[in-house]
Amino acid sequence: MSDKPERITLEEWDLRYEQLQRAGTCQPNYGGPLSRHVADGDQRLLKLRYDNSAAALRLWNFLLTEEDRLHDARAGGKKLIGTMKDLGTVPVMAYSFDNIVAFYPDGAWWIPCVMELSAGLLSIADSLGIDESFCPVRAMLGAFVTGAHFPVPDRLICSAGATCDDFSAIAQRLSSLGHPILWWEIPHRRRPDPDEAAVNLPGGFTAPKCQVEFVKSELERIKTAVEETAGEQLDEKKLSAGIKEANQVRRYLAELRHLAFTAELCPIPALEMLIAEMLAIHFCSDRRETIEVLKELLDEVQARVQAGVGILDADAAKIFWVNPVADLQVMNLLEDCGGRICGTEYLFTHALHEIPENLPPLEALARMTLADPMVGSSTDRAERICADIRKLGSEAIIISRIPGASHCALEGQVIGEIVQEEFNIPVLEIEVPPVTDSMRPTVRTRLEALVETVKARRKR
Amino acid sequence: MKRIIYTCPYVPAEWIAAHGLQPSRVIPDAAEATAPLGRAEGVCPYVQGFINEVITDKQACGVVITTVCDQMRRAFDILVRRSDVPVFLMNVPNTWQNVGVQKLYIDELKRLGRFLTGLGGKSPLGDALTEIMLKYDTARKSILAARGYLSAGRYAEKIAAFGRDGPGRMTNNTTGLEPIIEGVPLAIVGGPLMRRDFDILDIAEQAGGRIVLDATETGERGMCMPFDRRRLPVAAWPRHDGRDEPLMELANAYFGGIQDVSRRPNSELYKWLKSKFTDREVRGIIFHRYVWCDMWHAELRRLKDWTDLPVLDIDTTGDNETRRHRTANRIHAFLETL
Repeated sequence: MSDKPERITLEEWDLRYEQLQRAGTCQPNYGGPLSRHVADGDQRLLKLRYDNSAAALRLWNFLLTEEDRLHDARAGGKKLIGTMKDLGTVPVMAYSFDNIVAFYPDGAWWIPCVMELSAGLLSIADSLGIDESFCPVRAMLGAFVTGAHFPVPDRLICSAGATCDDFSAIAQRLSSLGHPILWWEIPHRRRPDPDEAAVNLPGGFTAPKCQVEFVKSELERIKTAVEETAGEQLDEKKLSAGIKEANQVRRYLAELRHLAFTAELCPIPALEMLIAEMLAIHFCSDRRETIEVLKELLDEVQARVQAGVGILDADAAKIFWVNPVADLQVMNLLEDCGGRICGTEYLFTHALHEIPENLPPLEALARMTLADPMVGSSTDRAERICADIRKLGSEAIIISRIPGASHCALEGQVIGEIVQEEFNIPVLEIEVPPVTDSMRPTVRTRLEALVETVKARRKR
Repeated sequence: MKRIIYTCPYVPAEWIAAHGLQPSRVIPDAAEATAPLGRAEGVCPYVQGFINEVITDKQACGVVITTVCDQMRRAFDILVRRSDVPVFLMNVPNTWQNVGVQKLYIDELKRLGRFLTGLGGKSPLGDALTEIMLKYDTARKSILAARGYLSAGRYAEKIAAFGRDGPGRMTNNTTGLEPIIEGVPLAIVGGPLMRRDFDILDIAEQAGGRIVLDATETGERGMCMPFDRRRLPVAAWPRHDGRDEPLMELANAYFGGIQDVSRRPNSELYKWLKSKFTDREVRGIIFHRYVWCDMWHAELRRLKDWTDLPVLDIDTTGDNETRRHRTANRIHAFLETL
């Protein structure tokens, strides 16, 4: 097997792993062949295609060993904070403490996919009255009940206000099952009135100054609560240092995204990029290692771009992707159909933009909170997507609906209309459940049609 | 008088009226699909119905929407693009336990005031707000007092008429009526009812039940708590000393007084229900929810676990006759078991 970049199967990865071992590739302590995770029940891995680099191997192993890290952290005397919904803000604060590890129980939404529904989490959610009309994040309830996928955190913190109803309702259900939650409010971000003091947010949105001040006061409340849990005070210096570390993650991701979306030949598959982006929200429970993992991935991508090699054909259709997929395999499918990712908006762009370092740290975090694309209007979100499409030259947009998610019912129309008005490019809306096997032919046909349309438009 | 429409109970009608505009709480008739919304898959029928009502309403000069639920928050995005009428999105916090969010609600009322002024409303001066609050408060007391004398359907209509028209046209039509004491005492619990779904109340009563508690959002539960009149001095808002007593009391009665499923935590809703169930000797609960309303749907199993009372789940799409027959059959069967 050569070192040529390509997408390979899990079986091929075992051979590749041996090859890397023989070549003396260093592995972190959580390293090993990817196929060993199948024994843990991660059946979906058998059906995915992976990047064949050592950097990708490290990324996957890092992702798939998070549960072990959480248990180790607890055993080592650290406190665990379950942060929910805000997708990126509270962990920046939490990792500024010496003895706190924060993670998103929301991440359980991928368990039904990765374990191909074998974990029974959705059935448990059903039994608690949270059926398939809710977003797959309902798997989180099952994970709390079984205790088999992450340790129950020492404290749960969940944002409310401008959030999706299904998550809010599921978190409330969790609370009613005896898991106390500290709720904090994120108001709907609105545009400042003409005579109102305004603040620029990371990523380009603006918000009224009073909203930033309000969120800052809510974050003060969270800080006090986490200090209680940690038994340790968090001063400005430590929080600023935490922000700097988070920004290192964001800078690597920004470079990765830029290269992945703009290189002539796509240097890294969509699936690995999705996982890399996800690391930004809670650092997969180890901030330091996240930085190292991303650094290695970036080095690999830079080397490929410099060498003019990639993993897809040069004429792949450039697709902007909106919302994360519940079934990871769909990211492979897009590439199988002749597409490549050229721009993403996976609901958490606020976790990708650098946090201002020239402001008092809590104010900086408040600005980041309000930069969340989901706390503002769908129009704002669409305009931001348009700005990226303009920059990246995306040729079509896919809006991936999350089954049952309250925001997906109406936002797709608004985003689709605005993008079409602005660029007149094809817009495809698809729904992606946790396991798409039964509808794979349909999804495939729709993706192929989109790619064909994009390529046909080039000839005009 | 210029008419301002809204549907969320956290929008205080008194505040709109104090600006010299006519507040009108819209209750959609039904959730029929119309062109403005396009695809309705996954859309809460009530939100769908509300969007349709706003787009077809040719009399309104402004619309107020709140952030209480996500789909309604996003309906704002649709209406801004589809309607020529100015739309205001009011932030109503879901959390409620600290002073910061209470202040946020009051600040949002003030911002709403500026929106209303922009539509031709006048700033509330002198005793206007206090007077209007007292008038509304008296009317609400009169409605609540009529409950025992009216069928549940008529009672719901009375609340709806008050929301739509305000206290001006209200008549006391309970004179000479005897209290209604027949029937198995029931509560109906849930989000708002669309007008066509008011028939659920009649169906329940025709089947031998008596709705003693309308805990839907369009029923009693959606009415603010009575004002503390001691906090409504004649000295008016805004006062020269900068204190906003009437506005504070208004905010307290609405934001602090309406217990909703969307609250985080929503424990106060359960306290409110417990107290009402006990006071009114409720023997069964009709739980009404619209499909795709996650907030209420998620509470169904919890409610069943929480109460010893039998609970009948009625889920509707708010749009057809088949639904009506199915609902009627289920309610009849439920009452037979009671």
